[in-house]
Amino acid sequence: MRRFQRFLKFPSTFLAPAILVLASIVLFPTIYLLYLSLRHWVITRPNQYFSGFANYRLVLSSGSFWDSAFTTLVFLGSTVLATLVLGTALAVALNRSFPGRGVVRALVVLPLLIPPIVAGFTWRFLLNREIGMLGSWMLPAIGLDASMLANPDLAMVSIVIADVWSRTSFMFLILIAALQGVPGSLYEAARIDGASTWQEFLFITLPLLVPAMLVGVIFRAIEAVNTFDLIYVMTQGGPGTATQTLSIYGWRTAFTSFDIGRGAAIAVVMVVFAIFATTLLSRRVLR
Amino acid sequence: MTRAVRLFLTLALAGMIGIGAAQTEINVISFSQGFAFPDLFTDGGTAKSERLLAFEQENDIVVNIEWGDESSVRQKVLTDLISGTGRYDVILLGTDGAVQTFGYAGYLEPLNAYLESGDYDAWFDLEDIYPSVLEANTVEGNIYGMSYYAFGPGMIYRQDIFDRYGVEVPRTMEEFELAMAGLQAGLEADDIDDVYPLTMRAGPGEEPSLDLTGFVYGYAGYPAWFEGGADTVEEIKAENARPDFTGAFRDGFEAFVNLAREYGPPGIATHTWVDMMNLYSQGKAVVLFPSAINGYAAITSTELQDVIDGSAFAPTPVGPSGEAIQSFWSFSFGINAASDAKDDAMKVLALLTGQEALQAFADMTVWPAAPYASVMRSETLIDRYGEAEVLLNEQAMLESETHYFPYIPELSDFMFQIGTAASQAVSTGDVDRALADLQRWAEETMTAAGYYND
Repeated sequence: MRRFQRFLKFPSTFLAPAILVLASIVLFPTIYLLYLSLRHWVITRPNQYFSGFANYRLVLSSGSFWDSAFTTLVFLGSTVLATLVLGTALAVALNRSFPGRGVVRALVVLPLLIPPIVAGFTWRFLLNREIGMLGSWMLPAIGLDASMLANPDLAMVSIVIADVWSRTSFMFLILIAALQGVPGSLYEAARIDGASTWQEFLFITLPLLVPAMLVGVIFRAIEAVNTFDLIYVMTQGGPGTATQTLSIYGWRTAFTSFDIGRGAAIAVVMVVFAIFATTLLSRRVLR
Repeated sequence: MTRAVRLFLTLALAGMIGIGAAQTEINVISFSQGFAFPDLFTDGGTAKSERLLAFEQENDIVVNIEWGDESSVRQKVLTDLISGTGRYDVILLGTDGAVQTFGYAGYLEPLNAYLESGDYDAWFDLEDIYPSVLEANTVEGNIYGMSYYAFGPGMIYRQDIFDRYGVEVPRTMEEFELAMAGLQAGLEADDIDDVYPLTMRAGPGEEPSLDLTGFVYGYAGYPAWFEGGADTVEEIKAENARPDFTGAFRDGFEAFVNLAREYGPPGIATHTWVDMMNLYSQGKAVVLFPSAINGYAAITSTELQDVIDGSAFAPTPVGPSGEAIQSFWSFSFGINAASDAKDDAMKVLALLTGQEALQAFADMTVWPAAPYASVMRSETLIDRYGEAEVLLNEQAMLESETHYFPYIPELSDFMFQIGTAASQAVSTGDVDRALADLQRWAEETMTAAGYYND
């Protein structure tokens, strides 16, 4: 009995199974990825061998990598900023009481329930210049005659629109939850002091929303860096390489160039980039 | 539980294990669920037909099929091959890179010995299969795939619209451009702005390469990718032939890009075969070219009577070299070299791609895309298209130059990069930039692959 009690004193004993499971499904693939990134493995060539940091050198000296990194930053910046602004506006608007608020909130959340791949297909068809409702009819009617998906500049705008449509509700959910925690007494006090609605938003709502906004931005930034399905089904990274983000570039390297080692190195660089960016933002939140 | 009951249960279990062990499971991976193999899988590809069940019983084989969309199937095949698990015994292969890349890498089982053994004569009559089909599946003398369907180059066009605007069927690329201009002028005069003279594919990735490199062949007269036209590993190494995408390659590339930009739909830089098929089936394109199979898919799926009645087939025009514009592809199946049941996998491959299965497919789709002459000339296809059109399709298969691109291990990668360059050039109009990028990439790739000593 005493031995059993002593056994219970070691929480690690109980945590061990969970840690083992976690390690097998998280640690193993990560270590394997690192291992692959240090090997020369092009499947069309017979030799596989340890190549040190050669894959990283190749990746970081490649113009395509930096082009893709820039495209990723453009996509990330645009989509995160747009979802933040729209999510905030929707959260503030739908935090007020009005008839039918529940229905409107449900409608706003609806795109989040639609898988990105479905959202991508939907937008691809909508924006299709020949047969899409938006691309062939509504946009030309307002003077925008170009093909959104086939134009190198507008293709990026198109995938940002689709991503914003798909993910704004995520930001909205985080922010509306935060808004409901803001004490009403603060607004009452501000009104007694003669504050306008805009001033209430600027000096009460916004400062109190900042921590939630940063959490939302962190999640959205990670998601944006990793976005693959939506871009793949809408443009496949094209036209040309106009919407080729790092995730599409990594996939192409591994699955069409068959360079498994270099594909793994790109994935590792993406992970490092994501950790760096989120750590930076997290520190800001914790502060 | 009495001893007798325990004994009975033990024997029953042993029997079940014994039966299970006697049956070999052969895993097949394919796309086109509910469309391919109508004689073997029914109910949208979810149930086994009587024919398949009888085959399984006769050969003690269980055939499992895994369906997926084309892209995910290609990636699953790749992942399985490189991991060497042999999870899939019979795998889908395209002749635009997979056969060559995986064949050179040793991931595929050569089928020659099986075919020469005589054991499969009842399934495959090699005399009946078009030589081009076998050639397309062959790398360095090894046959790695058997075709389920295949198509040669051709032009599907709206004869009614050609007649309306007095446009003749072009026989050369020069005439083709004149025909396009005539069609465009006619459509504009009639104030028709949602019908395009031409539909092709120019989406990023490998999509356009099959057709674009066919243009290059028609303009240069040879696969003009490497100096001197070298198109095998041995030739490239022996002649130290560098990639050259700015010389003879350029004429065909530029012609493709210009036609796409001037006469194609606005979204053509993102179009795949699905888009070109849809446009044609909706009556929004006058010519679909040079992968005529997508036109047949459109004709057989549309409900527009004008499209059905007004469409006709013509051979592709010849380029300045005197060679016809090419486009050849085969939906093939091969055997995974890592399979631990290759002999049984071959039996399944024979079932999947034998003459009977192909006839069933032709009967269902009514596509003149059969690798077998007997299927191509079958009643189903003659009744639908008439003998003259079927023979034109047969001629396209017979005259196809399946080696209109080099057969090298890096082919898949090249096809992807060339297609992406085409998409870039079609969307921006900047051919110089697209080809310069392609040239740089190709030199780096071939050098890294160890082709050159200096």
